[in-house]
Amino acid sequence: MRVPGRFFLSESLEKILEPGAVQQLANVATLPGIIKNSLAMPDIHWGYGFPIGGVAAFDLTEGVISPGGVGFDINCGVRLLATPLAQKDVAGRKDLIETLFHAVPTGVGAKSAQKVTGHVLEQMMVKGARWAVDAGLGEENDLLRCEEGGYMKEANIKEVSSKAKQRGIPQGGTLGSGNHFLELQVVREIYDENSAKAFGLYQDQVCCMIHCGSRGLGHQTCTDHIRILEGAVKKYQIKLPDRQLACAPISSPEGEAYFGAMAASANYAWANRQLITHTTRNVLKKMFGTGYEEMPLVYDVAHNVAKIEEHIVFGRKERVCVHRKGATRSFGPHAPDIPPELSSIGQPVIIPGSMGTSSFVLRGTQGAMEQTFGSTCHGAGRVMSRTQAKKRLSGKDVAARLALQGILVKAPNEAAIADEAPEVYKPSEDVVRVVHDAGLSLLVARLDPLGVIKG
Amino acid sequence: MSFKEISHTADVKIQVCAPTLESLFSETCNALMQVMYGPVRKGIVKKEIAITSTDTESLLLEFLSEVLFVSEVEGIVFSDARVRIDGLNLHAELAGEPFDRDRHALGTEVKGISYSGLSIRQDANGYMVDIIFDV
Repeated sequence: MRVPGRFFLSESLEKILEPGAVQQLANVATLPGIIKNSLAMPDIHWGYGFPIGGVAAFDLTEGVISPGGVGFDINCGVRLLATPLAQKDVAGRKDLIETLFHAVPTGVGAKSAQKVTGHVLEQMMVKGARWAVDAGLGEENDLLRCEEGGYMKEANIKEVSSKAKQRGIPQGGTLGSGNHFLELQVVREIYDENSAKAFGLYQDQVCCMIHCGSRGLGHQTCTDHIRILEGAVKKYQIKLPDRQLACAPISSPEGEAYFGAMAASANYAWANRQLITHTTRNVLKKMFGTGYEEMPLVYDVAHNVAKIEEHIVFGRKERVCVHRKGATRSFGPHAPDIPPELSSIGQPVIIPGSMGTSSFVLRGTQGAMEQTFGSTCHGAGRVMSRTQAKKRLSGKDVAARLALQGILVKAPNEAAIADEAPEVYKPSEDVVRVVHDAGLSLLVARLDPLGVIKG
Repeated sequence: MSFKEISHTADVKIQVCAPTLESLFSETCNALMQVMYGPVRKGIVKKEIAITSTDTESLLLEFLSEVLFVSEVEGIVFSDARVRIDGLNLHAELAGEPFDRDRHALGTEVKGISYSGLSIRQDANGYMVDIIFDV
């Protein structure tokens, strides 16, 4: 190990820390050019390559970039859309959940309702959410409320394979499956009135949370570049404890190629979330007569990405490559890339819970800038495997139990519900409490689920 | 069924045992399709895949990644894979059927095949592999 590992945990979360996740955090600490620490957010769990909930920054000269530090689902992320509706307007509305389920293509094999040509696909990869807004599928203000303004300028579509492009064309505006979801929520509790108001949130307001990523285009990009970087590992004589950590110096041709392709995939993901947002707004407009301007975006965050950012390293301002895998950016007050009207508050941080537990909105902090390269947790974090979930739980029972709590669930199959039942996740409150107490992000609001569509 | 799911917190970890290397590849492909689409499959559409790689683990990973790609792009749910391996060259004849949302929406999308912990082992009983699918 070149640097120590550093965990942000509570005593109860430490008890469920898996040896496999600790090993993966240690593996990251062996990578060339890693700065200060291999960091674990409190939702850390066993993944592949980096642990999920892993953060690491690398020196631009000595350091490496690795798809294993981003994951197959490049720019998997989450956004929160405000509405003027109240709980009484949407509670128990099965027709609303059904309509959303049919409007947003979900699950395995789902195809886009959008006509995406080769040219449009290129625009999605170059301009991200900006493409959608220019095409009339969003509001200018949406871009201000997106990390990176909805697209990374470093995108290089020449480094995205034709296979990845083929996968991207039919999937624009699709949700995917697994833990991806679209959820109607109600703001149940406000912890910080001033920040909530600035973010556009208030008590009893209905919001919509969307969680998805770059679909097959991003998955293929990861697969393609791991193969290329396997060759780079030999070429640059890098010793690795896990082949999934295949990497190359950031400034090498192979490293730059991956970064350009990753940024293009990240942009596709932002365009994708923007398309789903537009579909959702159309459904709400049709069913409730709500105007687009009444449904502003609160914020959109990436939680699987690598970025070049400026941070203070041992007292000096330096540009570094930050990998966040299952971790959220948490830039504090006056940091770059924060909407001007939120500059004194910090960026909004959106942390989804599971389908039966609360999600949270927090704000970025100076503490995160100092301790974690401006990063915080990304979700509740799984605690039960999918195999155990399927053995122990019935999707039908889970849906019935949630219905009693006033939460409607719609999914392509029952197994998908069992797979994502509330009990397979750590309590989201425990996770956000750790980041709040450690000063990595501060609580602003708690939202409870009302209706969920799962992929 | 000669594969089983092993507990893995975030993803799907599969353990496959088979008497020959070819059948190990074939069964792992079968496991991938089962995770994605459930068990109901027929073999009326044919497809051939050829892969050359640098080592046996990469050959398996690249074979499965190609199956994933073809399955998604061409909308085919594969039920059978006849695999021939000659050194680090693979040729597979696949049989399947067109994706049907009513019958095949029973599984979970696989995002990629991981190298983490991927090791093909051989003993007196044959071959064994543990492999992680990112879902």
